[in-house]
Amino acid sequence: MTPLAEERRTLSPTWLFIMAYFCALFLYGALDFGFAGAIVMVFSGILQGMLIFMVAAGFSIIFGLLDVLNFAQGGFFMVGAYIGVTLYTSIPPESMSRGLAFLLSLGAAILTGVVMGAVIEIGLIRPLYKRPVFTLLLTFGISAVLREVVHAIWGAAPLPPPDPPDFLDGKFALLGQDFSVYRLFIIAIGFLMMFGVMLLLRRTRIGIIIRAGLHDPEMVEALGIDVRRVFTLVFIVGTVVATLGGMVVTPFRGAYLEMGDEFLLGAIIVVIIGGLGSYEGTAVASIMVGFTRAVAAQISLEYFNAPVLEELSILAVMVFVLLVRPSGLFGREE
Amino acid sequence: MVPRLRRFLAENWAYLLALAVLALLPAIVGLLTGSDPTPRRGGNESTYWQGVFIQIYIFGILAISYNLMFGFTGVLSFGHALFFGIGAYIAGIATNELGVGFGVGCVLALAVSAVLGLLTGLVSLRIKGAYFAIFTMAIAQVFFVLAKNRLLADITGAEDGFFFIVPQWLTPTPKNRLTYYYLTLLIFALVFVFVRRIINSPAGRVFLSIRENEERAQTIGYNTLAFKLLSIVFAGMLASVAGILHVVFNQRHALPGLFGATYTVDPLLASLVGGVGTFSGPAIGAAILQLGETLLRGIEFTIGGTTIQVAEYWMMVLGIIFIIVVMALPQGVVGTWMRWRARRRLDPDRD
Repeated sequence: MTPLAEERRTLSPTWLFIMAYFCALFLYGALDFGFAGAIVMVFSGILQGMLIFMVAAGFSIIFGLLDVLNFAQGGFFMVGAYIGVTLYTSIPPESMSRGLAFLLSLGAAILTGVVMGAVIEIGLIRPLYKRPVFTLLLTFGISAVLREVVHAIWGAAPLPPPDPPDFLDGKFALLGQDFSVYRLFIIAIGFLMMFGVMLLLRRTRIGIIIRAGLHDPEMVEALGIDVRRVFTLVFIVGTVVATLGGMVVTPFRGAYLEMGDEFLLGAIIVVIIGGLGSYEGTAVASIMVGFTRAVAAQISLEYFNAPVLEELSILAVMVFVLLVRPSGLFGREE
Repeated sequence: MVPRLRRFLAENWAYLLALAVLALLPAIVGLLTGSDPTPRRGGNESTYWQGVFIQIYIFGILAISYNLMFGFTGVLSFGHALFFGIGAYIAGIATNELGVGFGVGCVLALAVSAVLGLLTGLVSLRIKGAYFAIFTMAIAQVFFVLAKNRLLADITGAEDGFFFIVPQWLTPTPKNRLTYYYLTLLIFALVFVFVRRIINSPAGRVFLSIRENEERAQTIGYNTLAFKLLSIVFAGMLASVAGILHVVFNQRHALPGLFGATYTVDPLLASLVGGVGTFSGPAIGAAILQLGETLLRGIEFTIGGTTIQVAEYWMMVLGIIFIIVVMALPQGVVGTWMRWRARRRLDPDRD
């Protein structure tokens, strides 16, 4: 548990490193692919970073506050996507505007997250807080079950990406390249989650209770607050971030069984780079990794004509960061 | 001499009995099913069951190796598939590309996985706990990406994999099945004895003390890093033995999937089901899972007009087993049984 006062310390060498890293990537991109190419890479990097962040955010919240490594996070992401898409495509267009249907589906995804999070935390995780390795193994099992349940209900075929509502549809031109508005929307939602959760934890009464409850549960109990409910709430926040994220990306990627696992590895890498338990670290590392992937993708396309470097590049970044700072960029020292 | 033998028998009769049964198993199955254990051509029920048990032994070796590191030394790794895959790939590539014999290839594979174990182990000096576990996962993933990459296709065959060149007597045909059965059983038994011997040695005691409390072991004066390295290197080498045996059994076909998460999760699950930190637990866990899958595969039942085939939902069954074991049987089958027996011995009201 992080002492509350320590959270505000500044780590300027870390920030310097991050900024230098971004500048180096951008400079390389600008030199090799031209200024416009570099801007496009920044854009697609942020987008990829946000996709990873949607899985990583919940992982980071749940680990940072509850010390539970939750491998089911990818499963939550996938379930949110399937439920959302199914509702969104099954509402007939005549009955209500697409925009409203979209909002309803987002609501359904959130509700799924709340229910799933509450059931899993109360029923399965709560008895195991004293045995950390076992919670991790448990979430392995949960993720396998979630995947198979979705497989049993929806089958193995992926659900195609639905059309987004009108106000999010369409394209805009950026430096001679076309981009869909929906990508901007994903980025916006990603940033909203980032700052929303940060504000929730830092500036609201609930956030204060959560942090206090983790710092000194007995004291908080003495004040008449049920700490177990606080834990459940944290778990639900982590789950909801994932299910909502899952629904948000569907008009862009569709829904498919592997979507959770696919993003989970990236998400874990991001959380590790940022430092386990640091939400800010996860946010920064997501964008870092997204940007790295975008540049690596461009390089592989240009020089190898095959997707070679994407995954290796982010793994390399992680290995490098860990060797230099064994607890990640913003992780607490052990 | 005789009292020592008697003590040995008294302590190990269960293991010896199990070994005897397993050694006679092909004959027993042959009698029960009325099929020839050594058919001249074509497979029959005997060779089928030999195959099932060969897989149990291979899977058991993998689980035992994982348990040596995780159960006895307390090093959590999510990248055990790295060693499983690297053993197979190096052994195969060495024989195919360097033109050495298969035996030499295997030795080379063991050497490479020892070195890799040493390198990843050295990193554990700096990176601890969950970070280390995920670090190992990343390393395994690096090799997975490399193995399926088109750039190295000449050597690895990329997504399609490549085939081993093995001596005639190892070729996986029904005729050779029985030889392979005894080979894997022998290696399995040797691995079992080896791990037991290590854990009961002074070095093994240090492993256990690292698991219980690494700082305390350090304070007493042990170089815990050296012992952790030893444990990781042994575990890695045993896992690569399992990898080589696995590929030879599966039509000599090595695929990038050998580096996949399955071969990390399976031994973890087997250790857990059988009992983490027990000798026979991982092997029994491996047997339970493998037999469970084999037996459940054929089962189908009908509820309200829809026929459900269990095989299709095997992953779900596995997940549920995972959850149940974690929640209800954290010591695993063997661990729970040992506790029950210990409690009965202490019970004064017995008899």
